[in-house]
Amino acid sequence: MSADLEWTTDMDDHGIKTPILQVDDLAISYETRTGDVPAVRDVSFEIQRGEAHGIVGESGCGKSTVAFGIVNFLGRNGRIVDGHILFQGQDLVGRSQEELRRIRGDRIAMVYQDPMQALNPSMRLGDQMTEVLTVHRDVEQKKAEEKCIQMLERVYMPDPANVMRRYPHQISGGQQQRVVIAMALLNDPALLIMDEPTTALDVTVEAAVLDLIAELQRDFDTAIMYISHNLGVIARVSTKVGVMYAGELVERASVKDVYLKPYHPYTQGLMRCVPRLGMDKTSSYLYPIPGRVPSPKNLPAGCVYEPRCDYAREECRLKKPELREIEADRWARCHFAEEIAQVSWEPPADLVPDLAALEERDEVTETILEITNAKTYYEAPSKQLIGGEAQYVKAVDDVSFGVKKGQTLGIVGESGCGKSTLVKTIIGMEEPTGGEFEFMGVDVSSPVSQRDLALIQELQMVFQNPDSTLNPSFTVGTQIGRPLRRFKTVPGDQVRAEVVRLLEMMRLNESYYNRLPRQLSGGEKQRVGIARAIAGRPELVLCDEPVSALDVSVQAAVLNLLLEIQEEIGTTMIFIAHDLSVVRFFCDVIGVMYLGQFAEIGPAEAIYAPPYHPYTEALLSAVPIPDPSVEQKHIRLSGNVPSALNPPGGCRFHTRCPRRTEMLSDGGTICETEVPPERTAEDGHRIFCHIPLEDLRQMEPVVTTTE
Amino acid sequence: MLVKDYMTRHPLMAEPTMSIVEAQRYMGENDIRHLPVVGDGKRLLGLVTRQSLLVDPGRLGSLDIWEIAGYLSDLTVKDVMVKADAVVTVEQGVTIEEAARIMVGKKIGCLPVLGEGIVVGIITEIDLLAQLMKLMATQEAGVRVTVRQPNRTGELAKMVSAIAAQGWGILACGGAPAPKDPTKWDAVVKIRNAPREEVVAALETVEDQEIVDVREV
Amino acid sequence: MTVSERTLSTVTRPSRLQRIKESLSILWQSKVAVAGLILVLFWALAAILAPAVTTYKPNTEDAQAINQSPSASHWLGTDHKGRDLWSRVAYGGRIVLVMWPITDSFWIPGGVAIWGVLIALAVGSTLGLMSGYYGGWIDEVVMRILDAMMAFPTILLYLIIIAAVGASATNVVIAITIAGAPGVARLVRSLALDIRTRDYIAAAETRGESGLWMMFVEILPNARGPIIIDAMLRVGYAIFSIGTLGFLGLGLPPPNPDWGSMVQAGHHYIFNNPWGVIWPTVAISSLVVGLNLLADGLREESLRYQ
Ligand SMILES: Nc1ncnc2c1ncn2[C@@H]1O[C@H](COP(=O)(O)OP(=O)(O)OP(=O)(O)O)[C@@H](O)[C@H]1O
Ligand code: SF4
Ligand code: SF4
Ligand SMILES: [Mg+2]
Repeated sequence: MSADLEWTTDMDDHGIKTPILQVDDLAISYETRTGDVPAVRDVSFEIQRGEAHGIVGESGCGKSTVAFGIVNFLGRNGRIVDGHILFQGQDLVGRSQEELRRIRGDRIAMVYQDPMQALNPSMRLGDQMTEVLTVHRDVEQKKAEEKCIQMLERVYMPDPANVMRRYPHQISGGQQQRVVIAMALLNDPALLIMDEPTTALDVTVEAAVLDLIAELQRDFDTAIMYISHNLGVIARVSTKVGVMYAGELVERASVKDVYLKPYHPYTQGLMRCVPRLGMDKTSSYLYPIPGRVPSPKNLPAGCVYEPRCDYAREECRLKKPELREIEADRWARCHFAEEIAQVSWEPPADLVPDLAALEERDEVTETILEITNAKTYYEAPSKQLIGGEAQYVKAVDDVSFGVKKGQTLGIVGESGCGKSTLVKTIIGMEEPTGGEFEFMGVDVSSPVSQRDLALIQELQMVFQNPDSTLNPSFTVGTQIGRPLRRFKTVPGDQVRAEVVRLLEMMRLNESYYNRLPRQLSGGEKQRVGIARAIAGRPELVLCDEPVSALDVSVQAAVLNLLLEIQEEIGTTMIFIAHDLSVVRFFCDVIGVMYLGQFAEIGPAEAIYAPPYHPYTEALLSAVPIPDPSVEQKHIRLSGNVPSALNPPGGCRFHTRCPRRTEMLSDGGTICETEVPPERTAEDGHRIFCHIPLEDLRQMEPVVTTTE
Repeated sequence: MLVKDYMTRHPLMAEPTMSIVEAQRYMGENDIRHLPVVGDGKRLLGLVTRQSLLVDPGRLGSLDIWEIAGYLSDLTVKDVMVKADAVVTVEQGVTIEEAARIMVGKKIGCLPVLGEGIVVGIITEIDLLAQLMKLMATQEAGVRVTVRQPNRTGELAKMVSAIAAQGWGILACGGAPAPKDPTKWDAVVKIRNAPREEVVAALETVEDQEIVDVREV
Repeated sequence: MTVSERTLSTVTRPSRLQRIKESLSILWQSKVAVAGLILVLFWALAAILAPAVTTYKPNTEDAQAINQSPSASHWLGTDHKGRDLWSRVAYGGRIVLVMWPITDSFWIPGGVAIWGVLIALAVGSTLGLMSGYYGGWIDEVVMRILDAMMAFPTILLYLIIIAAVGASATNVVIAITIAGAPGVARLVRSLALDIRTRDYIAAAETRGESGLWMMFVEILPNARGPIIIDAMLRVGYAIFSIGTLGFLGLGLPPPNPDWGSMVQAGHHYIFNNPWGVIWPTVAISSLVVGLNLLADGLREESLRYQ
């Protein structure tokens, strides 16, 4: 026996060099009614042990397909047609389900965007978690429970023992995602694949989950493949990143290299079209990428990016570029990468922005919308069966502000803070519970059905979801024409001409007139939605997250379009968004909402510099910024947003406020009882907080650039 | 300094049905010498070493070439591995010196590390030697002095305070009984940012102690 | 090139013809749907072209040839009065699928089953849309009434109605309508509840559109898929019910051949001449099965490629 055990060893055994995951020339197709869709082609990358590797790309570029390929969940019609996937040196392609299960065992885990995809809604969380340990490993129930509680503590779940007894729907989305991550980690996987795990979460929750991921990766030496469309998130979690475009990997290098000095024209384009925190419309311009992503069924013969590339030449049309190593550890798929990196990019002539024009807009003072003490409550069903006092969700509770003509008011805040309700109340889709609403001198507190047509026409809205903003049964022309006919904006015989004019304003030509919504891309649908909203020439356009569901390159185009429209017809806008960079870029005045109230409202630049409201400070520190050279203060909010059914007294933010104990004399007890005063800094900048303005001014800026 | 901090997490592992031909290839390609064999839930079933893959020539002698090929291709890792009950393992929570003691005692160079019954890593003698290097701050420059002192309480403190009195920093410090002399103790220190002569001068003043070795590394 | 030109050069606009072809292609995809379509088309064509594809009149009696088995002169045989079964079966489809005789001399195209379901659709959709779109007390009232009606088994409802008002083509249409409308309303209501939450509905509301516009222009067209599929199943069920009524002697008045009455008349002679029962039964069941297959196939295909 001792002969058996005389194992020799040497230095090589020490660090295992085999990557945890190595993907070689992977190609995946889906079979559909109209033929095979080559969704992923020629994808190669590797992930070393303990490394976090990002995959970034716009929707439909095949990110999820790669992930599902690795775990072999391609569904009925998907199949790997070529290439290899080596997990710890063993090829996974071409093996049977059973073999795969044995090889992968519990060594690969996956976390999806929607935590409910991984949780069983009808089982207690504790049972679901312990099952992981008891089924394959025969851990005793008691021990398994202990271990699960430990793991929940590890992911910073408050009160884990209690959470174990609850059902999934009884905890918040952020907490669900934590449970899923904890569950994935119970098996101590070597590779954790995360497909947009934080996309559905609020920024402050997202920031905490991203911190957690980074920490776990360090402690458990887990390799992470992190998929996201958000450049900022990728910059925060990963060390290396692969950029995907139309099913191919076009660039791969360290985050710093890719973000600061991208080689591939597509990556360069991407970097140009996201607003960085701090950019605004008067000093900068977003350059959208022209054209659209080719459908995987109809790919260009040469370089996939050729139809949209500013540098395309004859060779690009004919020959497909390989992903090649341009410098050590920097890969790009472009014939002319070296050359392109040398030249500085010049915007095409038709895109040169007229920034001066924006700046020259004359100061207006006329207030067109004046809202005082607005309240909108929803009645919540009482918990008692009979009787019981009616309870109210105070979605908007005592909000006052004014909007000046031609200005854009941005509203930011986490989900459920009442942004949409406020807008819906203004437009008359919800009935206000109290307050005064004055629009151009007339009262607008009545529901839309009781308003007269002239008033209705002045207030129009742009919606969030491009897939549901248009009626799928009618053509684009009919839908844009409807407000024209209804409001009699133009005589009946000129409707068509006017629609075409509007389409052209949206950079869509006449051929779109007869198309049905399903023949449009997301960005095009959104543009038609905007055209429909402005067709009646409204005075005030309310935009509820108009670009949130769009890809960054499309988002830039839509934002530019909105800016142009505003300039051309001088519309006033209220713009809701959760992306603080977008709001900063687009708006003149910004209001930060928390639990139905404004925490702070003021000119855009004032919001992003001290003095801050403590909540704004936390938000700014949480936004993922797509720029590795930027540093952010590390402020994380504890706990969840309290229920609007029963909001905390005093300052609504006091349950989570990180500043009150350190900046107020008696530990901030005053915040628990007394409503904070309105403090006015310069230029109409109002902050609602007990901390004196002078002290707020002393705070350091959240975002600093390190060069 | 516990095993879990110094082991290699997520080692390459094999499933019991892997053929030995494949195991051989797998170990060769990835340049590893030990392959834990795990079942469902990463429970340890055994361990394959290069030795276990060597086929007993006596057994093959009686077979012809076709039979040998067949015999080899039918053989799986399960047939040749050291079975789990014979494999020496270590819990992830123990100290690294305990792991070293086991390795020295059993004369083995590698221990699969278990945590709650599943394989969480592997620790080899190289990991321990690498740790010894770090304990002695091999990566950093300084003056390394070995001082022989009486084996009693308070001697190390004397030496350390002599160094501290000069305002120098200690990079590493260790000690062991002096070879062949149970009454003495050899202490070794590595001092940062100090000239060799001054170090010697400072330590010579300590009573009952003797410098046996000085070098700048 | 400007942005818009480049945007456009990558997309081509499908013509209307292509669009229709595309939606039909769903049908060809499903073998089930194609099988259903063949069955349905067979009976529809047989009924429409009955005068052309038969050699005897349906009511011509031939005492020389009673209770015959299928032969070259009588393809499907004859019944107890010597009437040609093929001719009777083919003509029998007319009243359910092809013509609705309002009076003795005046008829309008489309059979009673089809008209019944169409009217049920109109009535049911209106009620369902009102319920689903307005909600509140309107929903409460409408749904309570419809629930009460749906508590009766459908066939019982037919019996009660026909027994009360007498058997005529028009009364059958009325019966189908009354029996079908609650189900349609329920379906449309649930679709409307879902569609109501879409942004384009909110957009229409912010334009101050009227309730009628909201229901019939914004919501109804988007519910058409499931409604069409449901309607096919309903036509099948109506045919089945008409057959049952005929068998119970409450069928369409003679002398029109009617599949249910044919079974009823034939079953007395079933031991010397099973053909008189077999053929009309086959006709009813194959048509109903065909409609079901067609609906199922379409539903499956449209779900698969959502
Ligand atoms: N089951 C399927 N059948 C047919 N085509 C599919 C299927 N799933 C995905 N596709 C197509 O494959 C391509 C890649 O899709 P995939 O879901 O991988 O993109 P993604 O990058 O994850 O996008 P997103 O950011 O929207 O999640 C797309 O063109 C998509 O339409
Ligand atoms: S290969 Fe040509 S078309 Fe493709 S990205 Fe490079 S320059 Fe542009
Ligand atoms: S009032 Fe108090 S709790 Fe509210 S933000 Fe200011 S310091 Fe924080
Ligand atoms: Mg995806």
